[in-house]
Amino acid sequence: MHGFHGRYWRFDLTTGRGAHVAIDEAVLRRFLGGSGLGAWLLHREAPRGVDPFAPEAPLVFAFSPLVGTPLTTSAKFAVVAKSPLTGCISDALSSSHFAIAGKRLGVDALVITGACREPSELVCGDLRATPHWGKTSAETEAALASHGRVASIGVAGENLVRYATISNEGRHAGRGGLGAVMGAKKLKAIVVRGDVPTPLADPARVYAIAKDLSKRSFGPATAKYRELGTVANLLTFNRLNALPTRNFQASAFEDAPALSAERLAPVREKAQKSCASCTIGCEHIWDGTRMEYESLFALGPMLGVGDPDAVIALSRRCDELGLDTISAGGTIAFAMELTQRGLLDGPRFGEVPLPLLDDIAHRRGLGALLAEGSKRVAEQRGGADFAPHVKGLELPGYDPRTLQTMALGFAVGTRGADHNRSGAYELDFSERVDRFHGTEDAARLAIGPEDRAALIDSLILCKFLRGVFTDLFAESADMLRAVTGWEVTADELRATAARIVNLKKAFNMREGWTPASDTLPARLFSDAFPRERLERMVRAYNLARGWTEDGRLTEAQLAELP
Amino acid sequence: MYTTAVTHGAIVLCGGLSKRMHRAKAFLPWRGRTMIEHVVGVLRQAVDDVVVVTSAELDLPAIDARVVRDREPRLGPLGGIREGLDASTAGLCYATSTDAPFLTAAFVRKVLSFGGAAAPEADGVVQSLAAAYPRALAPVAARLIAGGRMRPLFLLEEAGYRRIAAAELPDIESLQNLNTSDDYLAALRRDGADMRATVEFLGTARAKAGVATLDVPAGRLEEVLRAVRERMTIDDAHLLSLNGRQFVRDPAVPVGPGERVLVMDAAAGG
Repeated sequence: MHGFHGRYWRFDLTTGRGAHVAIDEAVLRRFLGGSGLGAWLLHREAPRGVDPFAPEAPLVFAFSPLVGTPLTTSAKFAVVAKSPLTGCISDALSSSHFAIAGKRLGVDALVITGACREPSELVCGDLRATPHWGKTSAETEAALASHGRVASIGVAGENLVRYATISNEGRHAGRGGLGAVMGAKKLKAIVVRGDVPTPLADPARVYAIAKDLSKRSFGPATAKYRELGTVANLLTFNRLNALPTRNFQASAFEDAPALSAERLAPVREKAQKSCASCTIGCEHIWDGTRMEYESLFALGPMLGVGDPDAVIALSRRCDELGLDTISAGGTIAFAMELTQRGLLDGPRFGEVPLPLLDDIAHRRGLGALLAEGSKRVAEQRGGADFAPHVKGLELPGYDPRTLQTMALGFAVGTRGADHNRSGAYELDFSERVDRFHGTEDAARLAIGPEDRAALIDSLILCKFLRGVFTDLFAESADMLRAVTGWEVTADELRATAARIVNLKKAFNMREGWTPASDTLPARLFSDAFPRERLERMVRAYNLARGWTEDGRLTEAQLAELP
Repeated sequence: MYTTAVTHGAIVLCGGLSKRMHRAKAFLPWRGRTMIEHVVGVLRQAVDDVVVVTSAELDLPAIDARVVRDREPRLGPLGGIREGLDASTAGLCYATSTDAPFLTAAFVRKVLSFGGAAAPEADGVVQSLAAAYPRALAPVAARLIAGGRMRPLFLLEEAGYRRIAAAELPDIESLQNLNTSDDYLAALRRDGADMRATVEFLGTARAKAGVATLDVPAGRLEEVLRAVRERMTIDDAHLLSLNGRQFVRDPAVPVGPGERVLVMDAAAGG
């Protein structure tokens, strides 16, 4: 087999024993790696209805056929589990050396099951008590770096904050609370080091493709990421009335210019970094903290905070504690509105909730409530109409009212409100749709970016590279042929992408998804964006996917899946 | 014996595709407002009830008129007139397209003064979108549509309309329409408009341009970009937005006075 190893390593933390489990090549061809393989493994390993915090709940680290090749941006891995925040599948991607080292174990994935009796670390297959419980991921990583590459949780994961992250080299498998799944297993860190190479079917062709792709990755399609980073989105979104502000009370923020990359990058940016195997270099370090748009929006405009020092500090603290910045910002913003409405004695818009982040990570005081996420806070304190989540996952920084194709993407996404797995905003930022007036045609078009995202997340490559491809499916087929030797075509990959989306949907169906959850918070609907319009879009999307009108897979589609 | 005075209303047809204008005519800037606001404002001086008929997809800003949508798409002006007559509370309606920049209240009153179906004739052409239609013609319009007879002229003929000679009408420039971006730009210049627009640079474009904003002459997009290209290269890495509302790339799109073209990174989003 080329590009893959045809097996995963399942380690049971309860027994302290691991074993290799074979993966049929046909499975790898149908679901590839990363998100697709991770979803397949989750189906296989997760008992139906499993509590995400139960020992039986698996935590999957899935590598991919392109990891370890010279293809730019290929050093990525997927972390997949049932989310404690949403109860749905959560497939988070992270980057860098952990992916390469993990695959050099000679496996296509790691599946962690069971739970440790005491806080532990799994170091190159050796499970032992950890002295690092209570430390940040960066501290843990530094302490364990001599053993290999480290993925670890912060205090938030230890305390089962439902939106805790898993971190490695300052990157995060951020969304959905996978850090809490790891924390429930009392597993502080996983360290991997291997020396098993992955054979390539046609190394010369792989190198030729890699050289061409690298060259193209320096072009105009990636300029934004290279020159400013995703923080460039803030002022643009503000200008387009698409910047969620004060818990979606508004779509533009009066202090956006003060937080903008245009103003801050020239004075704040001190360094720029990139993941392993990446030629783009999208990491822009402001005053020692890697700043991304989502963190900037969630901890700035969402909270009504316009001081850049404060936002940078909040973002840094989230990283240190191991908190998803989007969910942290969304949940705190919700708490701010509850306070505004007299339903909570909590922080107020405009205040800088730095101590509250620690309270959340340690589950103390108000933090114990907010650690549950906005959906559960609303269940306890009211305000469901303006709780900023879909299926429990807090909305990222794209206002659905003025990006109505993205609205559809949020509503139907298998992870919850998620711009990354959907990509529907690409249509809103084009002449192909009217972003202020979502239509059924736009909903059908949204399948394209979603399928492309599923493919990219399973190959795995970085989505920042997407503008470089003329025909993603054809070029991906070329890459896969060279890596695996499979006679794979663009059409096959189109079907594969759709199958991976179906697989994730099937997991959610199995775990209790209902059509009613494919919607948005009530506050986002108005005369300008009637609920009925979104409902028509959702129906059109479902039918275009070949699902039933209310979003269920057909018997024929389910038969194709595990 | 009492006679009831016929009430006067107006219908504005706003649902067309505006293909040759390359953007919705309703939003073209005119004398400090949008074209639809301007036309509705003129009509309000002549009539009490104004109905604007728009398509299912076109959302209008708040205007001083009742807005109704085409119940069926692509029925053309006759479909819009039918919708407007059905929605109107007036007995006699002046029907116009959106692109009537030089329309005057005096012209509208004169067309309505004949008391029934009436249409100007100019250069041998019946101006069916500057004409008066009794509300009672709504079912006739429906019958014509069902029969595939889609021209407003057929409706006027069924009504036995009064031909109005150009000489009978005040402010004959009220008949001028704007079909293309060049028509619009020429009309602006004729009207003495302040032909200035602004380009706003966002993201990486701001550093490349060296400025946050740039004053440019209003005109076709390609003319606006000519000024921008003196400062930076505009290519596929950039996205252009008109007023933050509509993304544009067509070089023929007209950029009107006071409008802003935003230049941003094409990799918008994550």
